[in-house]
Amino acid sequence: MADVVTTIEEPKIRPEWLLGGAVTLLGAIIIVVVTMVIGSGEDEPVVVPADATELTSGTCAEDLRQPHWVPDAVRHAVAECPADISAGIGRTTAEDHLGTWITYTLDGAENAETFRGEPGLAWPEEEVRSGAYHPASAITYVAYPGSGELSEELSGDNVTVESQDLPESGLEARVTRVDNNGFGPVRVEWTDDAGSYLLLATLGRTSTGTAGPTVTELIKIADSVAAEDK
Amino acid sequence: MPTTRTWLQAGGGTVVAALIIAAVVQAVNSTATWVSNDPVGECGNTSGGEVVAAQNVLWAGTGLKPVDGAWDSESEVATEAFQAYNGLPVSGCVDTSTWVTMRALAISLCDPEFECQGPDHRIRYAAPGGSREAYFAENDCDWGSYVQPGVARSPVASNKVIALSRDAVTEIECGG
Repeated sequence: MADVVTTIEEPKIRPEWLLGGAVTLLGAIIIVVVTMVIGSGEDEPVVVPADATELTSGTCAEDLRQPHWVPDAVRHAVAECPADISAGIGRTTAEDHLGTWITYTLDGAENAETFRGEPGLAWPEEEVRSGAYHPASAITYVAYPGSGELSEELSGDNVTVESQDLPESGLEARVTRVDNNGFGPVRVEWTDDAGSYLLLATLGRTSTGTAGPTVTELIKIADSVAAEDK
Repeated sequence: MPTTRTWLQAGGGTVVAALIIAAVVQAVNSTATWVSNDPVGECGNTSGGEVVAAQNVLWAGTGLKPVDGAWDSESEVATEAFQAYNGLPVSGCVDTSTWVTMRALAISLCDPEFECQGPDHRIRYAAPGGSREAYFAENDCDWGSYVQPGVARSPVASNKVIALSRDAVTEIECGG
């Protein structure tokens, strides 16, 4: 009986095919990685509302007399109306006389809260002293519809109080600064026929510079409240 | 020669005048209490109602917890952070300039021409995921601290007005 010899021909993979595939694969990986890196560097398109009142649209403060202009660093606003505030206190308060608050938060690393845990020995003293541990920056706006008065005037060695014209609206604001070497809280308060108003922000000192709005920006915000009256 | 009746009238008038002057001085002091408190911290009071007030502000401004009216190293670090951010000399002691800076952050909840009762001023800091708030009562209370639940610790009770005084932690009743 004759032997039957079966020869299975193994597929031949040429080395140049392997090389070509590896190069192609490597090229594809490079393209994907480069695309991802470039894509991650692009910020989301920033949509700055044309009118700051859009920041509170759909909230209880939608129809409130409020700023039409805020600095570009402001992207968000949180509105609190009398019912919210009364509920937050946990006891009945005369809601008819409570103000409505809008808190504008400012974007940017310098305006972000840097606390890591609660204050204590885990916070290195030198970093604390440099201003490395600081809260988030915000601008608080409060409207008291129907009111004709400002808050009691603050006094102190580090306090300056002056009147400042609001050129667009033709009103005058009381600007109270707690001036601690150029930093500290600033209050801008004024009245018009519809009520009284307050803006509060802190010119903050951080380890990398400053945080918060400028006094000029606060004045511009105040001036914009009555901007559409004319 | 003045009669006994004249002397009595003069004496009575003097007493009345003294009482009026004392009342005026007291009123002025109570108004100014918030901005001219005693120092709090290692340089001053380390317990009592003024410490509660300072800690209440530091809770809002730095996340200090608990508010218990007892000064400690955490309170001092919180004060240093507050002072640094506000451009104050960093001492860890709540001195007059620091008190004034804290006071400037308090905003009336009610319109300024209406005296709402109970907690009527608030210090509010935006924080990740919400806010930190400290309340104070002024009208009918000569300023008092009002600490939120979850922040206060005995002997400080939450949702009670604590006298802003150098004395021990004392609850006071506000009108209404």
